[in-house]
Amino acid sequence: MYNRKIRGPLVEGNKTLSQISKEILSPMETVPGLWWYITFGISSIAAIFGFYAIFITVSRGIGTWGVNNSVGWGWEIVNFVWWIGIGHAGTAFSIFLLILRQRWRTSINRAAEAMTVIAVMMAALFPALHMGRVWLAFYIFPYPNTRGPLWVNFNSPLFWDFIAITAYLLISFSFWYLGMLPDFATIRDRTKSKIKKAIFGFFGMGWTGSGRHWIRFESLSFILGGIAAVLVVSVHSIVSTDFAVGIEPGWHTTLFPPYFVVGAIFSGFAMVMTLMVIVRKIYKLTDYITDNHMDAIARILVFISLIMGTAYSTEVFIAWYSGNEYEMFTFFRNRITGDFTFQFWGMIFCNALIPQLFWFRKVRRSWIGLLAVSLLINLGMWFERFNIVVTSLSKDFLPSNWVSYNPTYIEIGVYLGTLGLFTAGILLFFRYIPIMAVSEVKSVINIGRKSDD
Amino acid sequence: MHEVPLLTVVFRNKLFMMKKYWKSVEEYQGIGAGSEMNAAETHKNEFLELMESDFLKKYASRRDFLKVFGFSLSSAALIASCKRPVQKAIPYLIHPPEIVPGKALYYATTFFDGHEYCSVLVKTRDGRPIKIEGNIMSPYNREGTTARIQASVLSLYDDARLKFPASDQSPASWDAIDGQIIKDISRINSSDGEIALLTSTVNSPSTIKLINEFGSRFRKFRWVQYDPVSYSAVLEANSISFGKAVIPDYHFNNAAVLVSFNADLLGTWVSPVHFIPKYASSRKPDNKEKPMLRHIHFESGMSLTGSNADKRIRIKPSEERLLLTELYNTIAARTGGEVFSGATGRTDISELAGELIASKGRSIILSGTNNVEIQIIVNGINTLLGNYADCIDLKRNLNIAAGIDGRMEELLNDLNAGKVKALFMYNVNPVYDYPESDKFVSGLKKAELTVNMAGSMNETVGKARYECPVHHFLESWDDAEIIPGQLSLSQPCINPLFNTRSFQDSLLKWSGNPVSWHDYLMANWQNEFFPKSDLPMFSKFWDMCLGNGVFSYDISDGNPVLFNQEGLDRAMNSGEKSVSDGYEVILHESVALGTGMHANNPWLMELPDPVSRHCWDNVAAVSPADAAKLGIQTGHLIKLSDGLILPAFIQPGQAEGTVSVALGYGHTNSGPVADNVGINVYPFARITGGNRVYGFTAKQPENTLKQSRLALTQVHHSMEGRPIVRETVLSKYRNNPLSGNELHEEYESKHRTLYPDVKYDGFHWGLSIDLNSCVGCNSCVIACQAENNIPVVGREEVRNRRIMHWIKIDRYYSDTPDDPKVFFQPLTCQHCDNAPCENVCPVSATNHSSEGLNQMAYNRCIGTKYCINNCPYKVRRFNWFRYTNNKAFDFNTASDLGKMVLNPDVTVRERGVVEKCSFCVQRIQEKKLQAKLEKRTLKDNEIKTACMQACPAGAIIFGDLNDSKSTVTGLYNNPRRYNLLEELHTLPSVGYLTKVWNDEESKS
Amino acid sequence: MKKTYKIGIYDDEETFISSIKSLQQKEFKIYDVFTPYPVHEVFHLLKLKSRLPTAAYFFGLFAIIAVLAFLYYTSVINWPIVYGGKPFNSFPSFIVVTIVITIFTVTIASLATFSARSKLIPGRDNTIFDHRATDDKFVIVVNTDTLGDSGSDQIEALMKEQGAVEVLDKEFENVIA
Repeated sequence: MYNRKIRGPLVEGNKTLSQISKEILSPMETVPGLWWYITFGISSIAAIFGFYAIFITVSRGIGTWGVNNSVGWGWEIVNFVWWIGIGHAGTAFSIFLLILRQRWRTSINRAAEAMTVIAVMMAALFPALHMGRVWLAFYIFPYPNTRGPLWVNFNSPLFWDFIAITAYLLISFSFWYLGMLPDFATIRDRTKSKIKKAIFGFFGMGWTGSGRHWIRFESLSFILGGIAAVLVVSVHSIVSTDFAVGIEPGWHTTLFPPYFVVGAIFSGFAMVMTLMVIVRKIYKLTDYITDNHMDAIARILVFISLIMGTAYSTEVFIAWYSGNEYEMFTFFRNRITGDFTFQFWGMIFCNALIPQLFWFRKVRRSWIGLLAVSLLINLGMWFERFNIVVTSLSKDFLPSNWVSYNPTYIEIGVYLGTLGLFTAGILLFFRYIPIMAVSEVKSVINIGRKSDD
Repeated sequence: MHEVPLLTVVFRNKLFMMKKYWKSVEEYQGIGAGSEMNAAETHKNEFLELMESDFLKKYASRRDFLKVFGFSLSSAALIASCKRPVQKAIPYLIHPPEIVPGKALYYATTFFDGHEYCSVLVKTRDGRPIKIEGNIMSPYNREGTTARIQASVLSLYDDARLKFPASDQSPASWDAIDGQIIKDISRINSSDGEIALLTSTVNSPSTIKLINEFGSRFRKFRWVQYDPVSYSAVLEANSISFGKAVIPDYHFNNAAVLVSFNADLLGTWVSPVHFIPKYASSRKPDNKEKPMLRHIHFESGMSLTGSNADKRIRIKPSEERLLLTELYNTIAARTGGEVFSGATGRTDISELAGELIASKGRSIILSGTNNVEIQIIVNGINTLLGNYADCIDLKRNLNIAAGIDGRMEELLNDLNAGKVKALFMYNVNPVYDYPESDKFVSGLKKAELTVNMAGSMNETVGKARYECPVHHFLESWDDAEIIPGQLSLSQPCINPLFNTRSFQDSLLKWSGNPVSWHDYLMANWQNEFFPKSDLPMFSKFWDMCLGNGVFSYDISDGNPVLFNQEGLDRAMNSGEKSVSDGYEVILHESVALGTGMHANNPWLMELPDPVSRHCWDNVAAVSPADAAKLGIQTGHLIKLSDGLILPAFIQPGQAEGTVSVALGYGHTNSGPVADNVGINVYPFARITGGNRVYGFTAKQPENTLKQSRLALTQVHHSMEGRPIVRETVLSKYRNNPLSGNELHEEYESKHRTLYPDVKYDGFHWGLSIDLNSCVGCNSCVIACQAENNIPVVGREEVRNRRIMHWIKIDRYYSDTPDDPKVFFQPLTCQHCDNAPCENVCPVSATNHSSEGLNQMAYNRCIGTKYCINNCPYKVRRFNWFRYTNNKAFDFNTASDLGKMVLNPDVTVRERGVVEKCSFCVQRIQEKKLQAKLEKRTLKDNEIKTACMQACPAGAIIFGDLNDSKSTVTGLYNNPRRYNLLEELHTLPSVGYLTKVWNDEESKS
Repeated sequence: MKKTYKIGIYDDEETFISSIKSLQQKEFKIYDVFTPYPVHEVFHLLKLKSRLPTAAYFFGLFAIIAVLAFLYYTSVINWPIVYGGKPFNSFPSFIVVTIVITIFTVTIASLATFSARSKLIPGRDNTIFDHRATDDKFVIVVNTDTLGDSGSDQIEALMKEQGAVEVLDKEFENVIA
C-alpha cells in the first residue's frame, strides 16, 4: 500500500476540492501568456511548411523524396515509427498504471493521453503519404466491391498495421474522451460564460455525477483499460512485424515485437517527461505534478533504458551467433562500423548510456537534467528507427543493388510539419481542455496526507 | 470535372467542320502544318492517329465554352461513365486485308547503317513497327541482335529526323531541288569539273550498280566510302598480304585458341552480332566433341571482350606492335620460320606462343588497331600458324566496312584545292566524326554543288546547299550482300512518315532515269540473282526472298590465297621499337552508342556501359594505380589535353599509364537527347601513316578537383565473398561437374518449410541463364525495354538510382583492382515460388499465378513500396514520377510520334505503381492462345521472352519446368545450375549456370 | 406533474456516507446521490452494480467468431489466391487481425452500451439537482412526494445532524436521468 513516509503525498499543499477544480481549470479561464502565442506561431509556420511539402509530394510524386529503387522506405517510415512510439505513452500511462492501481498517475494521464492522440494522428499521416497513389488508399480496406471477388491480403503486415493504427487511434481517443466527461460537467457547472456552458454542456453529455454514472464509468474504464492494455502491446508489436516479417538482414528477427514495444514506451515516457517538465514550470502545477512524479518517471526510464541496452546487445549477439553472413554484414560492417556508424552509436549513446544519469537523485530532481535527458532519448529513438529502416535496405543481399540514401528537403519538410502540428495541437489542448483529470485528482487528494494510512 | 465533356464536345464540332471542308488528303495536310499530323496523314490509313491535346485547347475558345456549357451539364451523366477524353480515330477507308487489329505482322528486312549489319524481322502492329527481332533464316546472325539494332526501331519515331527537303536551309519542293541539282551537275560536268560521291560503306549490290551507272555519266567522278571508325588498315593489310582488300570472316567456333589485341569483337569490333554466337557456342564446357575455346586478350582499356577473356594482359597501345613482333619471332623460331630483328615487349609471351603452336591451324590472332603494319604482322602470324585454312575466311569475307582512310584524305585535299566541284554526301557525318572536320567544312565551302542525304539531324546537316533527307531503313527498299553469296533484302514496313526520299531514288532522278528504285532493285535481282536460284518464276523467287529476307547461293572456293612476304618484311623493319613512357589515351567505341550515329536514341543513351555501368556521359577511365598516384577520384574532372576535360572514372583493369575515352558523345546538332551529353573526342584521333589512329599520347592528366556527379547504375563492385556468381575452371569442372557449385546441394538439403509446397498442375514457367555464354552485351536490356514499354528516366533520375530497366546486367570484379576477373550476371525478376514480395503487399496487387508467375496488377497497386524493400534481389521498379506525357521527361513517351513505338499488348504504367519483369506474359498468352486455336499443345521453345529472343549468345532459355523434356528443364538438371540466394529458400524460377573459365587455376 | 425533492449537501466524504447510512436505517428510500468523484462505499450502500463486463465479454466472443469466419470466407472460399507459396488458409497470419478487430469491437460496443444505459448522449441535459455536485459538494436526493411533511422534516433533521451544510427543497418537472 502507499507509504507516505517514503514517497510523500500525491498532492502537495492541503487543497480543498474546489481549490483543485479552480487551479486545474485556471489555464482555461485565464488568457495565456505571450510565450503561448510565440510558440504557437512558430509551430504553425512549421506546420505550413509541412503542408507545402505534402502538397508537392502528392502533386508531383514520391520522386521528390530521396528514396530510390533499393531504399524504398526512408524518413517517412522512420518518422512514422517514431511518432507511433511516442503515441504509446498516454495509453501506457493510463492503462498500465490503472491496472497496477498506481494512483499517482492521475495528475499526468490526461496530458499523456492527449499527447497520444495527437502523436498517433501525426504517425498516421506518413503511411498515407508514402503511398505512390494515395488517392487510392481506400483499396487497403476490405470492403465488398464490384470488382468481382476482390479482397485484401490478410498476410500483409502492412494491412495488420493499418487495422492496428486505426483501432489504436479510435480507442485511445474514446478512452481519453471518457476520462474527460466528468471534467466537462465540472466546467459546465462552474463557468459563468453562456458559450462555455453550451459547448461543455453539449460535450458533457449530461453528466451529473450520480452513483449510477460513476459505477458504470468505473467499470467501463476498467474494461477499456484491460483490453487497451492488450492493444498497447499489440500495436507496436504489429508495427514491428512490418520489419520482422520482412526478409531483409537486420529486419528478420523475432526480437522485434518486445523490443519495439519497450522502445515505444521508452520514447513515450520520455516525451511525457519533456512536456511535464515544461508544463509544471509554466502553469505552476508543481503541487499536482510533484517532484515525486518526475522522479517516478525517471526511475521507469532508467529501467527501460537497461532493457533497451539488453535488446541492442542481443540483436548484435544473435547476428554474430547465427553466423548468417548477411546479418553479420549489416550489423558489423554497416552499423557498428561503416556508413551508418553515426546513427548507430548515436542510438546507443542516447538510449542506453545517457539515461543511466537517472541513477543519481540530483539529476532526477533537477528540471534541466530531466529535460535534457528526455530530449536526448527522443533523439536516440529516432536514430534507432533510422538504423532499422535505412541501413538494412541500403546494403542488403546483392552488392550490385547497394546505394546510399539522403533525404530531400521535401521529406524533411513533412517531418518538420508534423512536429509543428504536434506542438500546436498540444498548445491548443492546454488552452481548451482540462490538463488533468480533475475528478481523479480529487479522489486521491487524501492519499498520503492523513497520517493514519 | 467539366473539362472532359467540354473538350469532347468542342472537338466533335471541330471534327464535323473539318470533315465538311476536306476535299483531298493533301488539303488536310495543310491543317497539320508539317507536324506529326501531317506525317500521319501521308501514310493515310496505316495507323490510328492520336489527337494532340493542345490542338483541342487551340480551338476551345471562350465562346465555345459558353456554347457547350449547357451541353456539358446535360451530358455530364453520359460522360461520367468514361473517364478519359474521347480521342480521334480515323477509320480505314479501305481495310487492308493483311491487317487484323490486335494481331502482329512480321516483315523480314535488313538493318545496315554503314557500320553494323543484321538481318531482322520487324514486328508491326496496326501498321506501326514496334519491335525488331533477329531473322532466324539468316545464317549470319540467326536470332541474335545487339542493343543498337534493337533500339533502331525507336529512331524511326525520332522527332530529330529530317522531315522535308531544303535548299539553302529553307524548305523546298523535291521538283525544285531536283531541277536545280540536275542543272548544276550538267554544268559542272560540261566544264570538266569533278563530281564526288561520299557515302558510308555500301554493301548493297544493286546500289553499287546504280552508283556506278550514276558515275559513268560524268567525265570526272569519284566515289569515296567513309567509316567513322575505320577498318582501313585491315583492308589495306590484306590487300598487301593477299591481294584482297577485305575484312575476313573469323570462325571462332572452329578455333581452340583466340588471341586478341585491342579488338573488342564482342562489343564493337567489326560485327559483334555475327561473332558473339560463334564465340559463345565455342565456349560450352559441356561440349564433348570440341575443346572449349581459350581466349587470351591483350588490351589497355577494360573492354567487354577483355572482361570475358580467360586470360587478360594489360598493355599500352605502343606495346602491341612489339609484342606481336616478338610473338611472330618466337613462333617462327620454334616452327623454323624466318626470324626478324625487333625489340621485345614487357610481357613474357613464350608460354602463349607454346599454346598457339600446340593448336596449330586452330587458332585466331586479331588486332583491333587501325595500323597497316600491325595488321600485316597479324596476318603473318596467322599464316605461320596456318589459320587461314578453317579459322579465318578471306573468301567469304565480311562486306561491312570499305572505307580507305587515304582516299578520304585525298578527297578532302582535292575539295580544298577546288578540284572537286560537286559533292554528294549520303549517310555520313564527317563534321562530327572526322578528325580534321574543319578541313572538311572549308572544303565543303569551296565546292559549287553540295548535296547532303542524311536521315536525321546531325552536325553535317545544314552545311551543304541542298538537304535531301532519306528514309529510315524501316521505310525503304534495299538489299545487301554482307558475305559473298549471302544476300538479304530490305522492304518498307511502314509508309514514309515524313516527306523523305530514298538515296537511290534521288540518284535515279538525277541521272535522269525514270524507273523507281523499287523497280530498279527488282530488275537487278531478276538479272543477277534469280538465275542462281532453282525456282521457275521470278515472282515466286522474289516473294520467297521477301518472305525469308535472305537468299544464299554457293560461290566457288577458288584457289587458296598466298601470303606475300615482302609486305611483312617492310612492316617488321619499320615503326617504333620501344614502349612510349607517356600517358596514352585510347579512343574507343562504346557498346551503347557505337560510333555515335544513333546518339539521339534515348534507349541507347540510358543503356549503362556493360563494364563501367554508367550512362549519360563519356568518362576518362583511369587505372586505380594512376588514380592513387594523381589523387584522382571517380567524378573528378581531369584535363587530358587542351579542350579535353572529362569526368574521371577509376576503371579496375585499366592498364597503368593509359586512359580510355568513349567516342560517340558530345553532339552539338543531333537532337535534344544527344546534344551536349559528354564530349566529342573524334577530333583527338590523329592521322599517322595514312591511317586514322584512335588515340594519342598525352601529358600526365591534371586533376581540376572539380566534381561532376556521374550517372552510375552500380556503385559496389565486389561480391563480398557471397556466392552470387559461382565459378570454376575447366580442368576442375571436367573432374567434378559440381565444382564451384558445391553450395547448391548443401542448401537444397537444408531447406525446410512450414507449409506444404504449392502444386503447379499446368505449366511452371522457368528461365535459365548460362553465365558461361552470357558475354554481357546488353542486347536483352534494350529488347526488354522495347517489348515492355519501359520508360527512359533521364540522367538526373539515373543518378538518383531510379533507372527502370526490368533486366539489368550486374557486373562484379574479383581479385585485385589492377588485374580483376570480371563477372556478368543478367538479373531480372526471379519469379520466386516463395516470393517475399507477395506476402507483404497489403492490397494483393502482386501474387502468384497458377503457372508460377509472380504477377503484378498495376491498377490495383497503391505504391507502398513494401514489395520493393522485401525483394532480396531488388528487381522491382517504382514509377517515381509520371513518365508519360510529361515534358519533364521529354523522351519517347512524351510525344505522340515517339509513342508510336509503344507495344499495345503491354500497359503503360501510371505514376506511383510498382512494375517489374513479367516473363513477357503477353507473349506467353499469345502463344497459348495460338496453340489453343490450332488445337495442339505448346511446343518447347515456342514461347520466347524478349530477352531470350534478343540474346545473340543463346544464354537465356525460357520454358516449362513441368515438362521433363523441355530445354529449360534439361538446363535445370545440369550440375552447374544454382539459384541466386537459394539459402533464403525463395525458390526462384530463374536458374543460373556456373561460370567456367578455360584457365589453369581460378584466382578467386 | 411536479415532484418535490429533499436535497442534502455535504462538504466531505465522511459526513456524506454516514448520513446515507442513517437515512437507510430509517428506511428512507434514497432517490440518488451525486459526488465529484467516485465514492466506492456508496456503491455498496445503494447496492449499485454494473453488468457492463458481462456484456463486453459477449461482444468479444461474437467479434472473434465473426472475424475468423470473415477471414476464412474471403481468403479460402470467395477469393483464394497464392501469396508467397502460402496455402489459402494461412491461419497464423489471421491471428493478428482477429485480435485487433476484437479489441476494437469490444471497445466501441461497450462505449455504446455505456452511453445508452447511462443516457449519456452529446447535447443531452440531464436534470442537475445541485450544480456544486460536480465541483466539491456531495449531494443526497430523496423524493418526498409520498412521505408527506412529517417525513420530509425527519429527513431534513437527519441530514442536518449528520452534518449537511445545507438542506434544500426543490421541485422539478419530469426529471431526465
